[in-house]
Amino acid sequence: MKITQREVGNAVVLDLNGKLTGGPDAETFREVFKSLIDRGKKNIVVNLEKVSWINSTGLGILISGYTSVRRGGGDLVIMHASDRIESILYVTKLNLLFKSYESEESALTAFDEK
Amino acid sequence: MKSEESGSPQDDVSVATMKDRRQQMELTFPSDFKYLGAVDAAIQDLAREFAFSQSSINDLSAALIEACSNAIEHGNKFSKRKRVRVVLGFNGGSLSACVYDQGAGFDYDKILGRSLPPEPISERGRGLMIMQAFTDELNFKYVAKKGLCVELVKVDKDSATKAEGGEAG
Repeated sequence: MKITQREVGNAVVLDLNGKLTGGPDAETFREVFKSLIDRGKKNIVVNLEKVSWINSTGLGILISGYTSVRRGGGDLVIMHASDRIESILYVTKLNLLFKSYESEESALTAFDEK
Repeated sequence: MKSEESGSPQDDVSVATMKDRRQQMELTFPSDFKYLGAVDAAIQDLAREFAFSQSSINDLSAALIEACSNAIEHGNKFSKRKRVRVVLGFNGGSLSACVYDQGAGFDYDKILGRSLPPEPISERGRGLMIMQAFTDELNFKYVAKKGLCVELVKVDKDSATKAEGGEAG
């Protein structure tokens, strides 16, 4: 799993590339989120466009990031989730936790609403 | 097959096929999440071969990846010396996958007895939900001389119709 960060307006977009399956990815994510919070970055968009699939351990990684960001007073949303990922979020009821957007433009509006 | 230390993930995945009335394919791979991509590719390809709809293929793949993830993490505990074995079978419109690990086994009655979903922000506990939601049958069974198997079955009506008409299989 490769993670690229870019700042867009008042948010940080994390572009993920690969399969979100846990294992070593979990530690990489923890470091990324710790670094973001240390730098005062509160609005996070996770771009899943290049993530082909996810398992329950990968969901755990996303939830861990979500709770870290929320504890710091921020929010985490996702964008460009494939049908496969959307269906997994739905059956695990995590669609109720993660706001999911079809475009970067709409994802960034999540932080304007506050 | 190459050693576990070298080569691409695909090099470490052995595939055996056996053609009879009930067609089967077997995959064996080391206990590492990096091999899950090869499992996904195999089931996608096989299900497409048997004219499964893309929706059914994705469902079965999601469930199988979950079962293999459990075998790697909870069964084999990421031991590089232990392997996960998947036996895929096609039978008149249904695809089944039996996942075996080399762990000490587990109390599946206890797992199936969990009635409450995990807390929304719990990082664990969704594997069974995924396997149940995306399959038509989920069985935990002991197979003599082979060990404990997690069996996933997915039925595809379109594929069954074609199989009956002799178009697939």
